[in-house]
Amino acid sequence: MSRFYYYLILINMIANIISAVPTILLRYSEDGSVSALILGVFLGTVIVVFFTKFFNAFPGITFPEMLVQTTKKWFYYPLLFLMAIMWFLAGVSTLITYTFLLIRFFTPDIPLTLMGLTLVLSVIFGCFMKTDRVLYTIEIVFLINFPIIVFIIFKAYTSKDLNWDFIKEAMLHVVEMPNVNAVAACIFLSLGVVNLVIFNRFFTHKQHFGLKQIIVIAFIASATIFTTYFVPIGFHGIKEIDELVYPWIATSDSMRMRFFLIERLIYVFLLLYLGMAFLSILIHWHVSVELFKFIFKLEKWKYKDLNIGYGILILLFAASSLFIILTLSEYQLFRYSVYFFNLTAVIFFLMPFLFLWIRRRMKGADKTKGEN
Amino acid sequence: MPTKQKGKTRFFVLIALSFLLFLSGCGEFKDIDKMVFVSMIGIDKSDNPKKPYKIILKLYVPTSSFRQNPTPQYSYLIKDGETLAETIAILEAHLDKELDFGHSKLIVLGEKMMEDEKNKEILDFLIRRPDIQMISYVAMGRPNAEEIVKFVPNGETSLQPTLFNYFGNTGAESSFIITTHLFDFRRTMNEYGIDPILPIVEINEPGSHFIIDKSIILAKDRIPYELDAEKTLFVKILADSAKSVFFTVEREGEHFVTRLDNIKPKYRVERDGNQVTIRIKIKLTGIITESRNTLDNRKLPEYNRMLEQEMKEKLNALIDEMKMKGYDPFGFGLRLQSHTLPKDRMTDQEWRTAFKNAKVEVVVKSNLKSTGSIQ
Repeated sequence: MSRFYYYLILINMIANIISAVPTILLRYSEDGSVSALILGVFLGTVIVVFFTKFFNAFPGITFPEMLVQTTKKWFYYPLLFLMAIMWFLAGVSTLITYTFLLIRFFTPDIPLTLMGLTLVLSVIFGCFMKTDRVLYTIEIVFLINFPIIVFIIFKAYTSKDLNWDFIKEAMLHVVEMPNVNAVAACIFLSLGVVNLVIFNRFFTHKQHFGLKQIIVIAFIASATIFTTYFVPIGFHGIKEIDELVYPWIATSDSMRMRFFLIERLIYVFLLLYLGMAFLSILIHWHVSVELFKFIFKLEKWKYKDLNIGYGILILLFAASSLFIILTLSEYQLFRYSVYFFNLTAVIFFLMPFLFLWIRRRMKGADKTKGEN
Repeated sequence: MPTKQKGKTRFFVLIALSFLLFLSGCGEFKDIDKMVFVSMIGIDKSDNPKKPYKIILKLYVPTSSFRQNPTPQYSYLIKDGETLAETIAILEAHLDKELDFGHSKLIVLGEKMMEDEKNKEILDFLIRRPDIQMISYVAMGRPNAEEIVKFVPNGETSLQPTLFNYFGNTGAESSFIITTHLFDFRRTMNEYGIDPILPIVEINEPGSHFIIDKSIILAKDRIPYELDAEKTLFVKILADSAKSVFFTVEREGEHFVTRLDNIKPKYRVERDGNQVTIRIKIKLTGIITESRNTLDNRKLPEYNRMLEQEMKEKLNALIDEMKMKGYDPFGFGLRLQSHTLPKDRMTDQEWRTAFKNAKVEVVVKSNLKSTGSIQ
């Protein structure tokens, strides 16, 4: 597979370390989280395989284009609209979490609106770039951040303060029945692949996707999920881990770099994750913007030479995300994230059935039409 | 289309320029000259029962250059209060600047505070506040936090407070100094089967420098238990955090001191019904550094045996004492939990009785490499 494909999957996994996912997982730490992790990795990999196989069969064609060729209008407009909204919300959830984090730890003096606005504005224009440009941006930021993140995680594992007794104690909760919410949160980590609905445009050549690739993805997924869940436990114990609102921030604050430029690792960590959050929001919103463009034919909304369609969408995105940032409390964010993850898990599990249908219809559909 | 491109660029420049409006004066951001940095936080018990907390903040006084002020200067803020956050809020009104806790690296709790079961409350505040580092050190101050925080030992420069260097193996690498970080204090406080342990900071008799060689174990609902220097050393050995230990062997007419550079403790806790067995295995590597009598290289195996016996006796004595009193700073209970399924786990109470009746087996394997430069 192309390396860009792995970026899509990896970024969604890594960026979610700061989102609500670890909070949800750790909330149910004595209530069936561990078995949920295993189930989540498995189901997540299954979804990844289904999506990749499907999109790989039609290189260069986006999901909306396929739907136009194979299904009726009454079906695909609502579906795409729903997906667009969901992907917008996925971006917003990262955005909110990160805004809260920055306010709490970086600059407690800056008002919430300004902080949110700064982040929204820095991302939103990127979303209107061409798909390939978005991917190039992703590559640059990712390659700068990723090695340092890996280094920090390596430091976490080799730290003497990481108490493996806590981790083993937590692991033994594997005998409990998996918790549904935790499974859904786990599956969400693997949903980076869904971005292919738009990003498939970039992958114009059929690529090899075999057992080796599946193993790589399963390995990445299990490693990320293991780290996401167990490292905070190793640093903070299991009894009151659910007390921590941002488990990973507390964990990065508990790591000490004795001879590093900055002893307190939390600031390095937050800066790196600023990059990751940026990428995650960029990807999600790019997909969302493209879907909205498709649904409302925004290119055609013109006043003289100015494209007001895009302007309206930008305003809408900025205003609604700011509104959500200002109204939501941390607890609500947590609750709605749970619902959101459950919803995505269900929807993207039903998707493969739709894929079967599309696949059958696409065989009959006019091939030349699809390539336009 | 060049004209369209131009229009786009113009539009973009216009938007970018309008961002500058947001930067007007940095109204919400405090510059460094408007902030004052806290270097240590001391928390004492006050005499006033209505305002139980006494907070002592040690503040750095900014100097223009190191040469002008080679001796350190600090200012202090002291206030009694009912809650910690409120007291600090009041203290902020005593200053013309904003208090910044981001650089505070040490939290000193007064001795009286320990007996007061207030640790949970204090911890709650310290953890909840995001700008207090979770890697700051926690220590107990004797006779109280105020004296420790205010004390400036001989030879301290204005670079940083000397007291920081004692902890975390940055300056001193003594085997008598227990280092407890804030996050570690929290997790051991919350968890069953392991008890938090804090170093005790004292000032020596003439008042010239600090002494940190004792420690105190805080159990959740019992009075704290103090360990003297020797016991602290053994706790460090068992916790695998001792770097290099000097250990005296005195038996069978020999009297020598060993330097143990490599100490590898391993322990297993097994349970059979209600009987708990603790198996400890320690590997020691080191050399002999001092002796009353002339030593013989060929007799190294014998010295090894003596060291093993001596160490075993001492460790057994310490663990027995801990067992009797019911303190567990090593985390034996936790180790047992870590390989028991959740449904079979003991409750806190059950573990405590089991620990009291536990069988302890200590195996010491020592490997003395040499007798030093002379025999």
